[in-house]
Amino acid sequence: MSEKLKVLLLDDEPIVGKRLKPALTKIGCEVEVFQDPREAVERIGETEFDIVVTDIRMDDIDGMQVLEHVINKSRRTKVIMITGYAMMSLAREAMEKGAFDFIAKPFQPDDLRRVIAKAAEALGSSIDFEVPNQDEP
Amino acid sequence: MPIILFSSDFYEKGRQLAEKTAETLGYRYVDREILPSVAEKYGIAEAKLKRALDETPTLMGMPSKAWKLYLAYIQEAVLGELLDDKVVCHGLAAHLYVLGVSHVLKIRILMDPDERAREVSNQNEVSLQKAGKIVRRQDKQRRKWSLDAFNQDETDPGLYDMVINISQIAPDEAVEMITTATGYRKFQPMTYSIKCLQDRELAARVRAALLKSFPDVRVQARDGAVVVEIKALKREKRRKAAAVKSIVGEISGVHYVEVHVINDIFRQAAESSR
Repeated sequence: MSEKLKVLLLDDEPIVGKRLKPALTKIGCEVEVFQDPREAVERIGETEFDIVVTDIRMDDIDGMQVLEHVINKSRRTKVIMITGYAMMSLAREAMEKGAFDFIAKPFQPDDLRRVIAKAAEALGSSIDFEVPNQDEP
Repeated sequence: MPIILFSSDFYEKGRQLAEKTAETLGYRYVDREILPSVAEKYGIAEAKLKRALDETPTLMGMPSKAWKLYLAYIQEAVLGELLDDKVVCHGLAAHLYVLGVSHVLKIRILMDPDERAREVSNQNEVSLQKAGKIVRRQDKQRRKWSLDAFNQDETDPGLYDMVINISQIAPDEAVEMITTATGYRKFQPMTYSIKCLQDRELAARVRAALLKSFPDVRVQARDGAVVVEIKALKREKRRKAAAVKSIVGEISGVHYVEVHVINDIFRQAAESSR
C-alpha cells in the first residue's frame, strides 16, 4: 500500500484503544485514539479520516451522533461501529445511517482487522492482512 | 445480500410468491424439498418431518418428545442452508426461530379471509360456508402450532419486517416491493449479524446432537464457545456432564464447552416418593 490508512479510534474505555492501536498499526494503519467523543468530533472536523471506528454507548455524544457527524462531513469515510450492547434494532439503525459495518464486543483484534481490510478495499486501497495466530494481539 | 423468510396463511400462494422472489433476485430457493435429506441423515421417515411442521403433539398422534426432535433436526438443516446468504426460504417455519438477525428480512403474506375461503372451496369442492370454517380452524391451528413449537405467535404482525395482503397487492407488485426492500442498507449482512446467524446455527447443531439423550437441553453458542444446560439427578451430574462434553467436543466449530447441570426436582421428587 502506498499511503497509510488514516484511522480514528474512539472508545471511552482506555483498554480498547490500548489493545487495538498496535493491532491496526501492525497492518499499516496510522491510528489516532480518543476516549472523549467531543475531542474525537473536533478532530474529525479538522482532518478527513479514511476509517472511523467508534463505540456506540458513551456519555455526552454517542456513537450514532459521531456516525452522523462523519457522514455529513465526508461520505467517503467508512465508519465501523463497535458496541457491547448489540441488538438487531441498533445494528439496523447504524447501517441505515450509513455505517460500513457493525461489530459486537467482545471481539478479537482479527475481527476488526478483517473489517478494516474490507473497508480499505471499498476505498480502493488494500492492506496486507493475513489472519495471524489466535493468541497474537 | 439479505436472507428472505416467507410466512403465509395460504401455503401455496406463499410458495409461489417466494419462488418468484427468488427467481427475480437470482437467489437460492429453499423449502420442504430439503426434508428428504434431513430424513436420510437421521434415519426417519420424511412424512414424520412434514407432520411435525403441520401438527402439534397429541395423545393419540405424534409424541411430544419425537415432535421436538424432528423440529430440531429441521431447524439445524435450515440454519445450515441460511449460512450462505442470497436465500429465499419458505414453508420451514424459519421466521419463528431465526430471531434477532438483522440481515434476515421476514415477510408475511396474507389473503382476505373470504378470498381464502373461496380458494379452499374450489380446491376441496366444499361449500363456501364450510370453507370459511376450515380457514378459521387452520388459522387457530397455525397459531397454536407456532406458540407450542417456538413460543412465537405466527399471526403477530410485529414478528415481520413486511406484511403484504395479496388480495389487495398483486403478486408482481408484492415481489417488486420485496426486491426493493432487499436493497435497503439496514438489511445488508454485517459482521454482527453474520456472527449471530453462525452462533444460532452452531447452537442448533449442538442441540440436535444432544436432544435425543437430553430432552430438556438448552444450548447457547457464541464464537465457538458453547454453553449447555441439562437437567439431572445429583448423583448423575458428573456422568451426564461428561457425556455432554464428549458429544459436543466432537462437533465441528466448537472450541469450548461449558455444561450447567440443573437439579431435576421432578425426577428427584418422583424417586423419593417411591
